[in-house]
Amino acid sequence: MRSLNKLFGESPFPHLVEHVRKIHQCVKLIRPITDAIIAGDMNLLRTLQDDMSRTEYEADQIKDSIRQNLPKRFFLPVNRSDILKFTRQLDRMADDAEDFAVVSTFRKLELDPELRAEFLLLVSKVTEVSETLLAVAEDLSHLQMESFEGSETDRVLTKINQVCHMEWETDKISRRCARRYYSTPGIDPVTIILLEKLCKALTGIADHAENVGKNLRLMIVRR
Amino acid sequence: MSDPGQILLILALVFGFYMAWNIGANDVANAFGTSIGSGAITYKQALVLAAIFEFSAALLVGGQVADTIKGNIVHPWVFQNDPQQFAVGMLAALLGASVWLNIATFLGQPVSTTHAIIGAVVGFGIVSAHGMDAIQWHKMGRIAASWFVSPVLGGLLSSALYFAVRKFVLRHATPSRRASQSLPFAWGGVVFVMSFSILEGLLPRMLGTGTPHLRLLNIAISLLAATGMGLISRKRARKYAVPSGTDLDSQYKQVEARFGRLQVLTACFMAFAHGSNDVANAIGPIAAILQAIKGTIAVKTAVPVWVLAFGGFGIVIGLATYGYKVMAAVGSKITEVTPIRGFCAEFATATTVLASSLLGLPISTTFVLVGAVMGIGMARGFGAIDLSVVKRIFLSWLVTIPCSAALGALLYGILRHILM
Repeated sequence: MRSLNKLFGESPFPHLVEHVRKIHQCVKLIRPITDAIIAGDMNLLRTLQDDMSRTEYEADQIKDSIRQNLPKRFFLPVNRSDILKFTRQLDRMADDAEDFAVVSTFRKLELDPELRAEFLLLVSKVTEVSETLLAVAEDLSHLQMESFEGSETDRVLTKINQVCHMEWETDKISRRCARRYYSTPGIDPVTIILLEKLCKALTGIADHAENVGKNLRLMIVRR
Repeated sequence: MSDPGQILLILALVFGFYMAWNIGANDVANAFGTSIGSGAITYKQALVLAAIFEFSAALLVGGQVADTIKGNIVHPWVFQNDPQQFAVGMLAALLGASVWLNIATFLGQPVSTTHAIIGAVVGFGIVSAHGMDAIQWHKMGRIAASWFVSPVLGGLLSSALYFAVRKFVLRHATPSRRASQSLPFAWGGVVFVMSFSILEGLLPRMLGTGTPHLRLLNIAISLLAATGMGLISRKRARKYAVPSGTDLDSQYKQVEARFGRLQVLTACFMAFAHGSNDVANAIGPIAAILQAIKGTIAVKTAVPVWVLAFGGFGIVIGLATYGYKVMAAVGSKITEVTPIRGFCAEFATATTVLASSLLGLPISTTFVLVGAVMGIGMARGFGAIDLSVVKRIFLSWLVTIPCSAALGALLYGILRHILM
């Protein structure tokens, strides 16, 4: 009887980490895009948008391979549907990041210094959310090796709470930002529309990151 | 001893050897697979240890299950007036099981030698002159029940062990210190079960079966050995003391490595358990034929030591000529099994199998091991377990019984015409 080695399927957890890493690559592109928006460099924005769609495409491929390598016959230590939801939420993060890149190429934006500062703050907060999420996810593979029971589990759960807290902060900053651009006298209405789209993409990223974190918590605390 | 009797015996030895070779070539690898996969031992070390422990288990504890195959499936006494029929039947069973094993291997199906031989013995019994009455159905029922119970028991044991290690060692803030406290018990536990089962075979032979309080003596000696092992392990644990504040990651690594050392012992334990149960598949029929041609069919006699040794020898040869390849292949692929998981699975499996051996129940080691792996999976221990493989193992078991029974019956019909 030689089939014992076939008893073990390929674990999906290392691939999940790989997926999060790729998503973070997308989110990290937002900062250079923002710098290019402020500098008004439309050529650079188009190049960056290409970068973004390539990275997003690569993330998509990882997602598909995770789904394809998750047959129902696999007996997993976490809920199958939790894994699927996890990748779906990550996918939405990348979609929003790509939206941001696309909208940025529509038209050159003139931002006054105060608005600029507010906007940059929002961008760095969103990047931070994604960074924390990546740190959490990198522990995931490790946690699985300890059957989600090692004493590091509590530490990871705390980090997930941090992600949720940061999402809330992102929301606050984005509201402040909105108040600023709606109340700036003499601002071009089209600029307002575009800014609103950009901010919506940014808060979307943080929102989905929070969902990923919550999903992760579900994976950890129950099967 | 008549001439046809000798021919029968020679044929039985040939096919019995082939069976033993098969067991050594294909089954031992699984017993050692997890230890090799976790890197606790190299496959060359595994080969040597497997040979030693399979052989000694066959010799020391192999008799009980052989007795079952020889005398508890078909009624030997219904053949009292025609012992040759019984001998031919047992040869047919041996042959039928071998043929079925070859067909299954050819089709790439995982088949247990235990199920094959039992099926074949039942098959010849049913078509013998005595029909359904030739089978001891209540004892067969007990055996069949043990096929269901043993994997479940292996699973319960392994998940209980894994839960305990997780809760007591891994979940704690200082896993390394906790490991130092619990490893002596683990070492002691393995030594106790191993010593108990070795002595269970050895003591009656050394002191005579009539000696009073034999079991009590056994328990006393085994407890002593276990305590000694525990003390040694505790002393050694001081070497592994880590400064407080060592990060968890390196503590986990250290704990795993220490369980890895224990896994060398549990691997030997596995080989011992496997040998004690599976050698009977090859030598049970030989012992039966031997008794038949001596005309002492209905008398309960112990399996001769040379027959046990013959079976053990066959297993070792199978291991040396082919099993090492399988072992290298299985071991290199099972990397999911870390030493802690491997320890839990092996200890649970070996204990279950050994208990069955002592009770004379022929079970499949691989079945129990799969049960133990599932048990750890239930405790969220593995990234992904392929249930289709579990299903396939289960199905090929269901198919094996009727197929090997049919082959045993068919070959019995043919051999009866040739040999009688």
